[in-house]
Amino acid sequence: MEVTLIDSPVANVANIARALRAAGAGLRVTRDAAAIKAARKLVLPGVGSFAAAMSWLVENRIDSAIRDAVADGAALLGICVGHQLLFDVSHEMGTTPGLGLVRGEITKYGGPLPVPQIGWNRVTSRGPLVDGGVYYFVNSYAATSTPHEIARADYGGPFTAAVQNGRVFGVQFHPEKSSTAGLEVLRNFIAWT
Amino acid sequence: MDVIPALDLLQGRAVRLERGDFTRVTSYGDPERVLDSLDVPRGSRLHVVDLEASRSGRPVETDIVRRLARRDLRVQTGGGIRSVADARSWIDCGAEKVVVGTVAADSPDVLRAIVADLGASRVIAAVDVRDGVVRVAGWERDAQRSLAEVLAVVAEAGIEEVLVTDIARDGVLCGPSFATYRALPPNLRVIASGGVTTVSDLVSLARISNVGGCVIGKALLDGRLSLAEARARVATPNAIPERVIPCLDVRDGRVVKGVNFVNIRDAGDPVECAARYEAEGADELVILDISATDAGRDTALESVRRVANALFIPLTVGGGVRSIEDFRALLRAGADRVAINTAAIRDPQLIADCAQEFGVQAVVLSCDARGREVMVRSGKEPTGIDAVEWCRRAEGLGAGEILLTSVDRDGTNSGFDIALLRAVSSAVKIGVIASGGAGALEHFRDAIESGGARAVLAASLFHDRRISIGEVKEFLAKEGIPVRR
Repeated sequence: MEVTLIDSPVANVANIARALRAAGAGLRVTRDAAAIKAARKLVLPGVGSFAAAMSWLVENRIDSAIRDAVADGAALLGICVGHQLLFDVSHEMGTTPGLGLVRGEITKYGGPLPVPQIGWNRVTSRGPLVDGGVYYFVNSYAATSTPHEIARADYGGPFTAAVQNGRVFGVQFHPEKSSTAGLEVLRNFIAWT
Repeated sequence: MDVIPALDLLQGRAVRLERGDFTRVTSYGDPERVLDSLDVPRGSRLHVVDLEASRSGRPVETDIVRRLARRDLRVQTGGGIRSVADARSWIDCGAEKVVVGTVAADSPDVLRAIVADLGASRVIAAVDVRDGVVRVAGWERDAQRSLAEVLAVVAEAGIEEVLVTDIARDGVLCGPSFATYRALPPNLRVIASGGVTTVSDLVSLARISNVGGCVIGKALLDGRLSLAEARARVATPNAIPERVIPCLDVRDGRVVKGVNFVNIRDAGDPVECAARYEAEGADELVILDISATDAGRDTALESVRRVANALFIPLTVGGGVRSIEDFRALLRAGADRVAINTAAIRDPQLIADCAQEFGVQAVVLSCDARGREVMVRSGKEPTGIDAVEWCRRAEGLGAGEILLTSVDRDGTNSGFDIALLRAVSSAVKIGVIASGGAGALEHFRDAIESGGARAVLAASLFHDRRISIGEVKEFLAKEGIPVRR
């Protein structure tokens, strides 16, 4: 199954590419908007700042390419900040609109625990794309209330660990760093019809 | 687990006695003002001890207890309850429960009479223990019965809650006696008391299955922890798994292991070791490059690249990182996080620069300590810097986690330096990885439970296959510490 990995400069593309290959994907890594628009299975990675990642998408017209692909029935997986980009808006350093493919907002953790969250955390899932289990997170911001939540976790308060809206799928954790459980999530996405 | 604030009363004031000594008193002032300053919410349990009564055997601070009970607090009170009339007088003041100590230990008949009068649910048995021996009468003499005998009397009377205070630990901020609580019968509902100084202590107590509550006094009164934060943290003590991390010390592209950073032994190919560790359940891998030469360091960079390509867990790399360029090169080679050690002591701004450039999550401060003194250059050179001060400063500069190695313990298998871990982990909010000295399963538990570490690291123990990562995780899980399995 061919997967198109969006080659964002604001992402750890190499690690995700390696994990997707290990999970059995045939892989195309590209930042070409036309190729992304025509893709059937897309992965949107991201680390660091939401605003920087979003502005790269907009400047390269990849935001509309992703929306067109999804409207055309493509499956999309957002990872970490890529997952956050799926939402309506983020409140990281000001307010930045996202892709609007998933309802809800991204806000900073407000609980008593140190931020960023760096480490493994237990996820409870309503399946089937994500199994309940332990996954690796690195994040200061997350969604806490969305109708599209399919998995949640707790970090000084509950937050959304994964979302699904139609063919749009996002995970706040890093499947490429979550050992066998993470690779299983990628396999689920690759096999998703 | 219920976190129960405690007030000890003496001559109308909220006070603390150091180790139960009436000549060593710290006063905190008017009890109601103290409660206001602690933000104790309505409906909260409050533990009140009438210290004078515990010594003289006659209730003294009844007016204060009456005032506290009127504040919509569920007061449990005791001190010197020697008779049904004493117990009844506290209930008449508005207390929800009475805490019965000396008679529980010395006079089963009186205890039974109190239970008959008030009902078992309104009686908490208090057992004060020093070195396994029950102490009574304001801790001033040994009880007539052993701990097991006292607990049997309590159970027979139908009392459900037992307040167990480890006197040696009380009021001196050296940590609770987890072993004492763990050794108690599993069917008891224990309220732990004594030695809690950090939120981590409370989380560790909440993980012990028979501990249903914890009384905190001094740590709360001294502002070392907030009631709201403590309650939020103990609400889900098992949500976040603790990590087990194997470490590969790599020199010239080969895994080696030193004892006290000297006597290097060869232990194999890093990629083979790394893959085996992930398969065994390692939560993360640390590579420390201990090469002494530039050529050796180039080889290490290649090792990092090869290991990163074989792993699907986070990889932290340290050793010989002198500049932001070195840091970047390791991230490019596939490290998720980079540990800085000697270079950060020479130029602390390097921590801030790397955090700014690569994010807080990428920056690990590697701190080697002999005693509490920071050592640099692979643990060989003393700096005169206090490890706790240094780690706190590094946190402020932007370190995301601390890899804390005891140079004294490294390679000795004699256990982690719990005092060092405790001192650092209670001084910072970021996570501390315990390193140096792992030799037995209990050591890993103690580093997390007593030391407050968020991760435990070992090298030679895992290389030599004396203990496997799987065995460590199985043991931690059995001891109530959450791990990824």
